[in-house]
Amino acid sequence: MPLRRRDKLITYLVVGPFAIVLAFPFYWMLQTSLKSELDLYNTENNPFGWGEGSPTLDNYRFLFSDTQYVHWLLNTVLVGLVVVAITLAVALPAGYALARLSGRWGQSMGVGLFLVYLVPPTLLFLPLSRVVAELGLQDRLASLILVYPGFTIPFATWLLMGFFKSIPRELEDAALVDGASRLRTLVWIVFPISLPGILTVIIFTFSLCVNEFVYAIAFITHSDSKVVSTGIYTELIRGDVFYWGALMAATLIPSIPLALLYNTFLDRFIAGFTGGAFR
Amino acid sequence: MPRRRRRDLLEQRRFLAPALIAPAVIFVALLVGAPLALSVYLSFTNATAGSLTGDFVGFQNYADQWSDPNFRTAFRNTIVFTLVANAIVVVGAAFLSHFLVREFRGKWFLRFLILLPWAAPVALSTIGFLWIFDSLFSVVNWTLIHLSLVDQFNPPQWLGEPNKALAAIITVHAWRLLPFATVIMIAGLASIPKEVDDAAKVDGATGLKKLFFVTLPLQLPIATIAVLFGIVFTATDMAVVYILTRGGPFNSTQMLPMWAFQTGIQAGALGPGAAIALFLLPVLALVTVLMLLFARRVEVT
Amino acid sequence: MADSSKHTDRPEQDVAGERTTRRKILEKAGVGTLLVVYGGAATKTAAAGVPKYRGKELKETLRIVQWSHFVPAYDKWFDNVYTKRWGQANDTEVLVDHINVSDIPARAAAEVAAQSGHDLFFFLSPPAAYEDQVIDHKEIVQAVTRKRGKMGQLAFRSTYNPRTKKYFAFSDNYVPDPANYRADLWGEIGIKPTTWDNVLKAAPKLKAMNNPVGIGMSNELDSNMALMALMMCFGGFIQNDKNRVVLNSKGTREALKFAKALYEQGMSNEIFAWTPASNNQAMVAGRLSLAMNAISITRTAELVNPDLAAKIQLLPIPAGPNGRLGLEHVMGCYVIWKFAKNKRLAKKFLADLETKYIGAFENSKFYNFPSWPNSVSNITRRLERDPVAKPAAKYKVLGEIAAKYTKNVGYPGTSNAGIDEMFNKFLIPQMFAEVAQGKRTPDDAARTYDGQIREIFQKWRDLGKI
Repeated sequence: MPLRRRDKLITYLVVGPFAIVLAFPFYWMLQTSLKSELDLYNTENNPFGWGEGSPTLDNYRFLFSDTQYVHWLLNTVLVGLVVVAITLAVALPAGYALARLSGRWGQSMGVGLFLVYLVPPTLLFLPLSRVVAELGLQDRLASLILVYPGFTIPFATWLLMGFFKSIPRELEDAALVDGASRLRTLVWIVFPISLPGILTVIIFTFSLCVNEFVYAIAFITHSDSKVVSTGIYTELIRGDVFYWGALMAATLIPSIPLALLYNTFLDRFIAGFTGGAFR
Repeated sequence: MPRRRRRDLLEQRRFLAPALIAPAVIFVALLVGAPLALSVYLSFTNATAGSLTGDFVGFQNYADQWSDPNFRTAFRNTIVFTLVANAIVVVGAAFLSHFLVREFRGKWFLRFLILLPWAAPVALSTIGFLWIFDSLFSVVNWTLIHLSLVDQFNPPQWLGEPNKALAAIITVHAWRLLPFATVIMIAGLASIPKEVDDAAKVDGATGLKKLFFVTLPLQLPIATIAVLFGIVFTATDMAVVYILTRGGPFNSTQMLPMWAFQTGIQAGALGPGAAIALFLLPVLALVTVLMLLFARRVEVT
Repeated sequence: MADSSKHTDRPEQDVAGERTTRRKILEKAGVGTLLVVYGGAATKTAAAGVPKYRGKELKETLRIVQWSHFVPAYDKWFDNVYTKRWGQANDTEVLVDHINVSDIPARAAAEVAAQSGHDLFFFLSPPAAYEDQVIDHKEIVQAVTRKRGKMGQLAFRSTYNPRTKKYFAFSDNYVPDPANYRADLWGEIGIKPTTWDNVLKAAPKLKAMNNPVGIGMSNELDSNMALMALMMCFGGFIQNDKNRVVLNSKGTREALKFAKALYEQGMSNEIFAWTPASNNQAMVAGRLSLAMNAISITRTAELVNPDLAAKIQLLPIPAGPNGRLGLEHVMGCYVIWKFAKNKRLAKKFLADLETKYIGAFENSKFYNFPSWPNSVSNITRRLERDPVAKPAAKYKVLGEIAAKYTKNVGYPGTSNAGIDEMFNKFLIPQMFAEVAQGKRTPDDAARTYDGQIREIFQKWRDLGKI
């Protein structure tokens, strides 16, 4: 439905400022990342302009040639993807079972699972580091892949439970009557309709993994196995010297593709949430 | 024959449900349950720096913390951060989502800009804010000075004065949570059946009237979910305070996860640290259960 | 023949054995084979990613974790030159991991909880809280002492617990903490920041020139060090030589009054918002006229803005009514965990490192000073010949500061677990900030914080650590 002229104007007047405020830090990261140190530390200069030696790609060059930045990015993506896979493999059946099969206590168990999400990682990493060491995973990416599902599975299960409830039972019953087994019905009928819900879980799980940093600090010191947040902390903050330009570049680079990705799948994500979140 | 029997077993609800749930439960019990139990145990001991045992001291750590002024500040701040940031987020998101469901040119791009804070890892985007709020190179202050809004020689110190530092931290939280809440709210709007819209139109409810009496009430359950996530993300997050102020100036921006970390890990008093970390858990659990119940009830009626 | 082949085979067999057990455990835990497969892949990519030392297989492995040094060249030298050479001589592959300074406590706690980790763990302040988890480092101290004479008092008081008679760490280095001042600006006024009185006298004029003094009062390292040193110059101490808390003293109150006056007359409110990087940046931006910090300020300035660097000169900490008492900026402390796999080599590594400290001293651009003063010969002469400094003898004063004006945190007592906790909770900067902002009177602040620190000490005393 096309908007009236006035409504259109109001929309831009509301959405525009929000977008500017929310995106400003990223604009600022971009500007900072293109500055020379001399320019950056000169308080006489207009920070919105370019001073001595700016704009320059030095910070990017440093990031890509003098640090293992690309490696850390790949590690982050890898951890995210594997955790997403594990989460789905565990949470899909569990969410379905809670929604369909277990009746009354499924409900309270769903809430219980959500509560797990509240446990603070601040100190949890200590006992877990023992587990990680016993399994021989210290300083390996696998340690993160092992522990992250601890907080992604409960959340994903809870979300999927709500989603499955929103799917009409008749669809499954029809398949069951046709002689398909429960599992077959699950895989061929239920999961395909649940794609938006699954997508929601994927995006959410991935963003949780990218954001986490307490475990990443505690479990991994080896440079090759670091993820983006911890790697950057090691290389770009050296004692009391911050490499601001490179830090800003390093933040900007993963944010843009992720935001593009989220934006692309947003409509499906929305569908997933509507279907699932509160049923 | 055995194959057949296995199939039958899978058909039985009594067997199938536990089988499907078991992996999730085992995973959670091992990775969260057991460590949590250990943390609870530690909070009753005088354990130090990383060792996972200590002498039993009963409720001593809890009592000590409760009488510690720093803990009190941390507790109060955690509540303040959480409530204020989420109030801002929920109002902003409700407003923004209302307009973002419309179709207009450039929507995709504007939506991309709005989603950026959600995409950036929080530990990194907060570094961006550390630079924005810097004591000397703050772009905010530069702008304010050049608009002659503040004194050039005595500009506001966003991370150095208690109230401004609280405001700065709340800003960062609100900033990073707003996109997510907006998305959830859009979902809520999208879920409002078309008939309701039409009915409202027939009844002559338009503009603000419609927003307040039709759209917002219908959005309430999903708004609750958005707030719930917001609360959890703010109350349990340490990164923002850790990077921006480390609890300063003089512990005025201290909050519980940060104080737990400072006490239990940095200062080596693990027992008390565990107690601090766990203080929040029952409160959050209660809030969560109430909100989930509320979300469901609102939806039913 | 058979024997020798068996011998060469053994290390590989060990590795294979370790892998199978890990797999078994994993399967038991129900994690599945995915992790194992991935874990294997990760090691391979990891190995491909770094320029690994090529040559004959080295027999043993020594794993070290330390901060990413403020001088990147130091890390390159340490990781790729020094440890490789040492490894060759000792038939050991030395693996060095780096973490950010602020991540050290979390990782240390994680390794202790796991009872597994690196053979050498490097802290930047005396890690007294971990005493039960580490070996007695006495043997290394003795080995170095045999070759290089007495250990510096600073290192001794920072790593020795008189109550338990144990060396709970081995300090290889510390960093002196000079006053960095703008010679040009102070020259205009005609005063030098040699005493705190002078600083207070000059501060209003400097502030009027928009070049305030910058002594931080924030929850961060530089503030912690500068303020504790300032207190000592006024006769305020956290504890006495018997490790009893004596913070509530006339000296402390005087220091608080002085700092409040200095803040009001010669500083700006930026000092409450600082991170460890802020005074560096403000100095490099040409704003501050005085800051207390290690040489990272002038070293950064030399890279970014050499003209300005020449104007920033160094002095020992200004003298107060109680004399000139400064602190180290950071205290490098290695520990060997009780659960370390390779204690023997770890000890040898430390003894060797300290005995010939010259490489570390020079590659850190004079940031790291040896904990045994005799480990680097002719320190003063070397300092005078800095290739970058203007004037060339700029850093000479560091030798004097190191020798005369650098005390340990907790002086005149030792750096114990109570000091460690107080230090990591930033109680001293908080006390100063509260007084400067008028939230407490000096009397009230000294009394209140004395009480808080007493409680901390009592707790550690009950645990038998003080």
